Amino acid sequence: MADFEQVATIDEIAPGGRKSIVVDDVPALLLRVGDDFFAIEDVCTHDGQPLTDGPLEGTEITCPRHGARFDVCTGRALCMPATEPVATFDVEVRDNAIYAKPKT
Amino acid sequence: MSSTSAGTEPAMVTGFDAAAFERFVESRDDPGWVVDARRTAFEKFQEQQSVPLDPEEWKRIELRTFQPQKYGVRPSSDAAVQFDTLLQDRAQFAGHVSHTDGACQQASLDAALAEQGVLFGDLNTLVRDHQELLKPHLQRASAQAADRFAAWHAAFWTGGTVLYVPRNVVISEPLHSLIGLSEPNAADLSHTLVILEDGAAATLLEETASAQRDVAGLHVGSVELLVGREANLRYVQLQNWNEKVYHFARQSGHVEKDAFLQWTVGGLGGKLAHVHQTVDLDGRGAAAEVNGVTFAVDRQVISYYTQQSHNAPNTRSDLLYKEVLRDRSRVIWRGMIRVEPEAQQTDGYQRSDALLLTSSCRNDAIPGLEIEADDVKCTHGATAGRVDEEQIFYCMCRGLTEYEAMHMIVEGFFQRVYDRIPVEVVRETLSQAVERKLGIGD
Repeated sequence: MADFEQVATIDEIAPGGRKSIVVDDVPALLLRVGDDFFAIEDVCTHDGQPLTDGPLEGTEITCPRHGARFDVCTGRALCMPATEPVATFDVEVRDNAIYAKPKT
Repeated sequence: MSSTSAGTEPAMVTGFDAAAFERFVESRDDPGWVVDARRTAFEKFQEQQSVPLDPEEWKRIELRTFQPQKYGVRPSSDAAVQFDTLLQDRAQFAGHVSHTDGACQQASLDAALAEQGVLFGDLNTLVRDHQELLKPHLQRASAQAADRFAAWHAAFWTGGTVLYVPRNVVISEPLHSLIGLSEPNAADLSHTLVILEDGAAATLLEETASAQRDVAGLHVGSVELLVGREANLRYVQLQNWNEKVYHFARQSGHVEKDAFLQWTVGGLGGKLAHVHQTVDLDGRGAAAEVNGVTFAVDRQVISYYTQQSHNAPNTRSDLLYKEVLRDRSRVIWRGMIRVEPEAQQTDGYQRSDALLLTSSCRNDAIPGLEIEADDVKCTHGATAGRVDEEQIFYCMCRGLTEYEAMHMIVEGFFQRVYDRIPVEVVRETLSQAVERKLGIGD
């Protein structure tokens, strides 16, 4: 099973900000909502394309192409055209560093 | 960035930047015109870095985790690397050529065929001895490099298998070519070139293999098949890298008047494989049959971008791809039949069928037609579906285990494409490779 790997430091990402990372060879998006960090696979489950620049409101990210919305905490698909959840990662913050690994 | 790996001698330089290119050119003994062609291609390669790839072809392919700077071309390679090949020892071959990490290890050809003027060997050697034959092709490849992968290949090609069959020479026994990867992060940029003169006939079976299961590698290859008037070529390429190898290939066939090309591609290995395959039917009455067998498992991504171009009247093309997917794998097929205005009486067919063994795999099939002539027959279609539970239940009622039942269904699914492959050894090999991937058999 993959271990936690360091993907960023806290001061790299302002509240509401994001960073493209790679976890276990999967492109992912690390998002900061207030003081909480979430990581989701950077692929919309509807069209298989990146979510990278999708607008984030609260904990909901919107796909920039067709408007599918996902909850970044759980990965749940919130509206059409997406029906499948997006994969999420376990995230841990230790001191100033942020670590992520695939969900067990 | 480029860096030198410590340890093994000679050291491998990784990366494909300007410094790496200069070292690569210096390490080789290419004729002047080859170096010039490489430089032209390298300039294009650098220009193309900032040009986005054609989204129609590449948007479904995840390149964000691909790091070309991790790979490199080895200046030379140790001989005697053993490969667990699919084909090598299975049949009587009229000749063998093998490459490891881009360097030729062995080339042999039946003496009787050599006497008739047949050439079968390594591009690096033949480019010096037969430059009048090879120069136009290599220069064209450099000048026409269509995207960054094509330019990359044209600048850094490492070698490859060449088959030349003179006019009216018919080779009845198949020829064998092996492309191997052995060292960690080694890159192979091999160029397979087959030239059949008018009335010639040959069968070339090519396979790719990794020496070890867990060693990463890179293949940026090219295949050119030139089939002269009334010639008949059967070409098979079985891609069977381990699941750590990136495979990018640009493959094209040109078929002249009344000639026939039968092309079979097997996609079994690779972490990410993308094949750009075009068949140009350039002469009246030319015909091509393209068969594809793909089996993707785990997190493999296997992608095909195929084009059948009808450029002359009375031409026929027939493409059938069969794909089986399991686990979290993904197979993408985007196929196009293009009919030029002068290509009347064209008969074009393309079909892709995918069988999904799990709910987590994904298949994208995008068939397409572009027809500019008004008297043609073109058919296309694609299917994707899960294994029917009732079929499994039926088999299990008759004493088969679930695994055996699944195997039988997968084998049956591929049978239609196996039936179109005229070389028995290829049918058997594919069938056993599929068994192995299913986790049964030897």
